[in-house]
Amino acid sequence: MERRKFLGLGLGAAAISLAPVSALAKNYRKELPKVWSIKNKDKADDLSGVNEAIKAVFGSDKTEDGKIKLKAPDIAENGAVVPVSFSLEKATKVALFQSADPEALVAIWDIPEVGIPNYSVRIKLKKTGTVVVVAEVDGKLYRAQKDVKVTAGGCGG
Amino acid sequence: MRIKAKAKDGVVTVKAMMKHPMLSYDIAKKKGKEANFIVHISGKVDGKDVYDASTSQFLSKNPYIKFQFKGEAGKELELSWVDLKGNTKSKKAKIK
Repeated sequence: MERRKFLGLGLGAAAISLAPVSALAKNYRKELPKVWSIKNKDKADDLSGVNEAIKAVFGSDKTEDGKIKLKAPDIAENGAVVPVSFSLEKATKVALFQSADPEALVAIWDIPEVGIPNYSVRIKLKKTGTVVVVAEVDGKLYRAQKDVKVTAGGCGG
Repeated sequence: MRIKAKAKDGVVTVKAMMKHPMLSYDIAKKKGKEANFIVHISGKVDGKDVYDASTSQFLSKNPYIKFQFKGEAGKELELSWVDLKGNTKSKKAKIK
């Protein structure tokens, strides 16, 4: 009886642990809890924090130029609301980083089968820095980046 | 949450604005509050994923998003978010 109970429990646990893998949608706050706390360096032109975060999210920081169209303002008068858009023909995963806030990672998108990666968001930038988008396309990583000058910081509230 | 979803030539364009203070650790500290922000946004049509974003404290207050997917008018888009404290909100909108 004891043994049967034990086996039953084992099967139940296996079914539960398989469930999140089959679902495409991923909450990266749970999947990769540590990547969100990777710090930027004090100098916003030092992208080593961003590169470290890219490696943590994609498993590599070897990227190529091209494929991504990135749109962000040259000068943001209000760092609390900075519009950022990117578009590509296709991608499986896209992530957005910046070098101006305390931590480097802003967001990660898993692109569903029917998804068209032509996305926009509005982000906060504490000071002048660089916005970086990395996309995974057919197993290769592509990168685009743009410097944004911030005249009023966005994290002061 | 405000959602506009429009279909044209098999492509649905969605513009949505969520109501959330998106208190980053920095701002929360200054205001003497606890940090809280949306960490995951998902969009579904007929139970299938059409949008999936894991987000951070660095989205602006009352986050605005725009996205596209292959789809048609007449169906219903369900957009939901969850924040750091586990609050969730969900809203449906018809694709026009």
